[in-house]
Amino acid sequence: MNKMHTLCFNWVPKAALVACVALGLAACDRPTPVERDAATYNVVHVEDANKDIGTYVIPQDTAIVNEPNADEIFYGKRLLNETKRLLPDNVGASMNCNSCHIAQGKVPLGDPYINSYNFYPKVMPRAGKEVDLEARINGCFLRSMNGKALDRDSREMKAMIAYMKWLSQNVPKDQRVDIENAGAIDESLVPDPVRGEEIYYAQCAACHGDNGEGMKDSRGDIVFPPLWGDESFNIGAGLARTYKAAAFVKYNMPMGIQTVGLWGHGNVLSDQDAVDVSEFFAHKPRPDFPGKENDWPLPSMPKPKDARY
Amino acid sequence: MLTWLRRLIALGVVGLVLAFALGSLLPHLRTESPSLTVDISDPELIQKGEYVARTADCFACHTTLEGEDYAGGLPMLTPLGAIYSTNITPDKETGIGDYTFEDFYNAVKHGVRKDNAALYPAMPYPSYQIMPEEDIAAMYAYFMSAVKPVKRENQASELPPVFNWRWPLAYWQAIFAPEREFVAEHEDEVLARGQYLIEGPGHCGSCHTERGIGYQEVALSNLDSERFLSGATIDGWRAKSLRGEYKGLGTWSTEELVDFFKTGRTETTAAFGAMAEVVEHSTQYMTEEDLYAMAAYLKTLSPAPGKPVAGPNKEDTTTQKLLDGVYDSRGALLYVEYCLVCHRADGMGVPRIFPALAGNSAVFTENAESVLQITLSGGRMPETPHDRMAFSMPSFSSLSDADIAEVVNYIRNSWGNEASEINVDDVVKMRHFLSKKPRVGTDLPPHLGTSAQPQGGQHE
Repeated sequence: MNKMHTLCFNWVPKAALVACVALGLAACDRPTPVERDAATYNVVHVEDANKDIGTYVIPQDTAIVNEPNADEIFYGKRLLNETKRLLPDNVGASMNCNSCHIAQGKVPLGDPYINSYNFYPKVMPRAGKEVDLEARINGCFLRSMNGKALDRDSREMKAMIAYMKWLSQNVPKDQRVDIENAGAIDESLVPDPVRGEEIYYAQCAACHGDNGEGMKDSRGDIVFPPLWGDESFNIGAGLARTYKAAAFVKYNMPMGIQTVGLWGHGNVLSDQDAVDVSEFFAHKPRPDFPGKENDWPLPSMPKPKDARY
Repeated sequence: MLTWLRRLIALGVVGLVLAFALGSLLPHLRTESPSLTVDISDPELIQKGEYVARTADCFACHTTLEGEDYAGGLPMLTPLGAIYSTNITPDKETGIGDYTFEDFYNAVKHGVRKDNAALYPAMPYPSYQIMPEEDIAAMYAYFMSAVKPVKRENQASELPPVFNWRWPLAYWQAIFAPEREFVAEHEDEVLARGQYLIEGPGHCGSCHTERGIGYQEVALSNLDSERFLSGATIDGWRAKSLRGEYKGLGTWSTEELVDFFKTGRTETTAAFGAMAEVVEHSTQYMTEEDLYAMAAYLKTLSPAPGKPVAGPNKEDTTTQKLLDGVYDSRGALLYVEYCLVCHRADGMGVPRIFPALAGNSAVFTENAESVLQITLSGGRMPETPHDRMAFSMPSFSSLSDADIAEVVNYIRNSWGNEASEINVDDVVKMRHFLSKKPRVGTDLPPHLGTSAQPQGGQHE
């Protein structure tokens, strides 16, 4: 009896203690709203990439409203998203800038604009001379968009650059966000366009069409860009080159297939798959590029092996 | 004083013993001996049984993501803890290998286990109750002869004592799962078949009918009450009303429903969440005739009581604003950044690829849990051979809870949509719920085993 009593006596306060702790934990466990978990990358010095000098946080577009030139940045963002609809005289292809620049240029390996503002001007092998950001953007208009260059001083050009400058988040000119613009691809692989065709119809054609014609919405605006034919990019575009296209395709296509990533995109194909399918669509008929004879003029900067001319 | 207390305690004990005794006896009263003798090696019967098992969607609950077919182990979350589905492969030790047809019949139809214990109503035996003996016999032949035996021990439930006792469940069964026969509402044979599939093996009410105080479905058929299939919330999904009002199936045609059951999508919608599982494991395997019958029957259901029959006649001002770059709310800014590339300025998505948000009742249903869950967790369409690829929605869990609330309110009230506002607490709750919810197949990307094989058409 006495022992029983002791047991009870000991047991009761312990139970009470356990109950209190449990209640306390339950109170701690009550969830509170979470803040945005933005992607962050290291900032490095151009001269010494190993020197970690800060952190870059991908900004959300809701922050644009706080900028003094918010209207200009928003205009630039719209032009990059809806280039064909807003600049029909300059865009020949059925293509928007952000058809290729994934999620408004905010995703590493998806042709991001994150470092664009700081990277240029730079001597580029294809031009064989120094290219500034305006010239680089116009390179896209002439090649990927198969269209006409914008006036360098136009409101449109300034707006697109304003968006890219905002996206650079004041990273100093001699520094870079430590990301890759494109992923790695094994360039020693030999492309098999027959296998590439099979992959195309299985993995790409649902969106880009059985004849590479792409897809438009009910208003005629581009949803999925054409991959060949008159409305596609011309042979001067990077995407007309097998290995360059493969690096894009592997890490960014298809979209809407993963349950992570801003576009739910990429990482479906192997290197060989990507090389095969890129060889297939890149070499389909497409517009010529009038200025092609001026590309890769310097013997010190020879053209890559997948160049089309 | 002391004597009274003793008497009271004695009375309580006697009562409990009696209740236990009766509770142990009750299942015996439910069971019956079927008249058929089943030849489990009859190939025709096995094939029929496989089809019946598909219509009953046994696979969805009795198979886990990484597990073997029908080996059980899928947790079903209840407020008191998880219970786990059981191994229904014909393994003699851990499955149902030593079940006679009578044992199988009583488990499926009456919710009574071989040892006469009552099954949890997570097993939809109140629906299966109307299945004819022949169909259960066919399923028995299929499970015994064509399903691979898998040795996998059943897991005990996480329910606390009292709730994990089996005998009180017998009372639940006596009250909420009475014996019932199928009563056709219509003379038309097609409609009767559809009604049978919906009410019986399809057990649509398990998700789409709200549950009462005892976790029972408030109606097991349309003849019971118009609350049958009037929508309910389960596992963080709003299983929408399947009745005739506009937020139910009022805007759906019979053809669209057939297309949806068969392919998991229509020109403007896509199955997601628990319904994607249903299409992937069950309806895509059903015959065109059966799908049509189900669709035609659903279209006969009257509007849910007390719900507006027609939608608001709201003008779309959203599309033009987005096209003109008038981003006049935080919700609009977020929509343009994260959603518009797929769901488009007009909210119409892309046919058979990205579902529409405008006019989509899964978006503006009163209870926003579905749209919150898919936004936070992502998910994918079912994989079927009818479309080349099954597309996914990525998770936007990296957004702040406040922004999730903003963008969900934006899509629920843009274009012609009209719905109540949700707040940040709703997002917090859903995020917390999802942190505990087990993953299922359609939470993950489709089969990405690349190469020249299309992604559709790869399933179990």
